[in-house]
Amino acid sequence: MSATVLPGTTVPAQHVNLKLGPGLLQRSGAGEAGPSIVSTRAGTLNHSSNGSKWWVESNSRRYIPAPQESVIGAIVQKVGDGFRVDIGSAHSASLDGLAFEGATKRNKPNLKIGCLVYARVSLAHKDMEPELECFDAQTRKSEGFGEVKGGFLVRCSLKMCRDLLDPKHFLLPLLGARFPLEAAVGMNGRVWVNAKEPKQIIAISRCIEAVDPDGGRLDEAGVKVLLGALDI
Amino acid sequence: MSRLNGRQPHELRPIQISFDGLARVDGSARFSFGPIAALSSVSGPIEVRLASENASQATLEVLVRPLSNVPATESKALAATVRGLLTPSLILVNNPRTLVQIVAQALVPSGSGTGLDPKISNASAVTAAVVNASTLALLNSGSVPMRGVVCAVAVGRRKDGPLVVDPDAGDGALDAEGCFAFMFTRDGDDVQARCVWTNWKQGSGDEGVLSAARELASQAAGDVYAAIHANVEGMVNVKPAIVVLPTPKEATVMEVKKEKEEEMEIKMEF
Repeated sequence: MSATVLPGTTVPAQHVNLKLGPGLLQRSGAGEAGPSIVSTRAGTLNHSSNGSKWWVESNSRRYIPAPQESVIGAIVQKVGDGFRVDIGSAHSASLDGLAFEGATKRNKPNLKIGCLVYARVSLAHKDMEPELECFDAQTRKSEGFGEVKGGFLVRCSLKMCRDLLDPKHFLLPLLGARFPLEAAVGMNGRVWVNAKEPKQIIAISRCIEAVDPDGGRLDEAGVKVLLGALDI
Repeated sequence: MSRLNGRQPHELRPIQISFDGLARVDGSARFSFGPIAALSSVSGPIEVRLASENASQATLEVLVRPLSNVPATESKALAATVRGLLTPSLILVNNPRTLVQIVAQALVPSGSGTGLDPKISNASAVTAAVVNASTLALLNSGSVPMRGVVCAVAVGRRKDGPLVVDPDAGDGALDAEGCFAFMFTRDGDDVQARCVWTNWKQGSGDEGVLSAARELASQAAGDVYAAIHANVEGMVNVKPAIVVLPTPKEATVMEVKKEKEEEMEIKMEF
C-alpha cells in the first residue's frame, strides 16, 4: 500500500477513472504502449482501495495555492477596494473588500494592516495571483471565515496542518480536554490558536512544534510528558 | 595498484547523508564522500526580483559559497555548472514568475593545494558533493516537482594507468579527471541513468577513455542513488527526534546520554 518513491519513478497506476493527486504526473509515452504515470516528489506512494485515486504523500514547508483550500493570511496592504494578503506563497493573494458576509459598497469590513483572516482560496492558477474569499461560495455566509481577532499564529509544516485537520489526530482533542481553546488551521502552514491564559497559548504552540513531522515528531505519550513539564 | 583504506577502483568513500532542517529555508541537506562534505539549502517557489522574472517558468538561481573568502570565479563557475545540470531534472513550468534558490556551501577547502601535494586538487569531489547535496535538498523541500534524481561522482585516471572512482590523496596526481552527473529514473526494479553533464579533462588517450570513465562513473552514481533512496526512506518514515525531559534534575542526566547517542548516530550514518 505504501512505498517510498523518488522523483522519476514510474508508478503502476491503472484504472478506468484514474485520478492523480499531488506528486504524480502523466507523461505521454512516445512510441510505447501508452502514457506512463511518473512521480515528481519524494514521499510515500498511496492509493485508494479500488485503485482509482493515486497520490504521493510528502511534507513540505512552502505553500503552493490550490483552489478550495482554507488558509490563514495576514493583511499586508490595502489596495483600492480590497486587500493584499500574505498567505506564504510566492505571490500575495488578493482579497476583495466585498468578499465578506453581508458586505456592501457602504458596509465594507475595516481590516487593518497586520490583521489575520481565515479565508478560502477561490482562484489559484499558476499564471495569476491567488484570490481569496471570506465566505462560503454556495451559501454566501461566513461559515467561520473572516477576520480572527486576538490569539496567536503558529507556523508549522504542511503535513502538520493536514494532520491537525484530520478528526482522528490526537493533538487538538488532547489539548482541548485540558483547557478550552479555539484553533483555526490553515492549509498554508499556519495555525491560529487562542485560549484564556498566555501560558495555555504558549503550551499549544510548543505542542504543535513538538508534534510537527518536520520538527519534534513527538507522539501522544511524549506530548503528555511535555504538558506535564509545562505544568498544564 | 593500492588505494587508501583498501578501496577498490569502483568503490566510493563512505557516503554520509543527513537532513539538517535549517530554520529559514524550505529544504536542506548535507552530503559527503568521506571527508569531502557539502551543505545545500533550497528555498522555493518564492518571490522573484522583477529583473529575473520569467513569465513562463520559475527562475532557478544557484549560489555556491566556498569554505573561506567571498565567492570568487571558481564558486561562480561551479554555481553556473550546478544550475545547468539541475535544470533538466526540475519541472519549472508549474510555478511561473517565481524563484527557486539553491545555496550550496562547501564544507572543505576546495581547489588545489588543499593537501600535502599542491598538484592534487579535490575540486571534482567537491563538485560532486555539491551536486548531490543540492539534489537532496530539493528532495527534502518537496515543493519543486522533479523529473528525476541527479547524482554525481568524480572519476580520475591514475598515473599508473587504471581509472578510479572518487580519487583521493592516496591516488596521487592524476593525468585525467573530471566529474560526471547522471539523472536517474526508475521503472520498478529497472534503474535508468542518463549522463547530463561532465567536465572530463584528459591529456592523452582517445574517446575510449572517456567512454570507460563514463561507464565507471555510471556504476558509482548508481551507488549514490541507492544511498539517497535509503536515506529518503528514513526522511519520509520518521521517528521522534526530540527527547522530552520531565524534570530539571533528570534533564541533566538525559542530556548527557543524548549527546553520546548523537555522537554514535553520526558515526553510524552510512
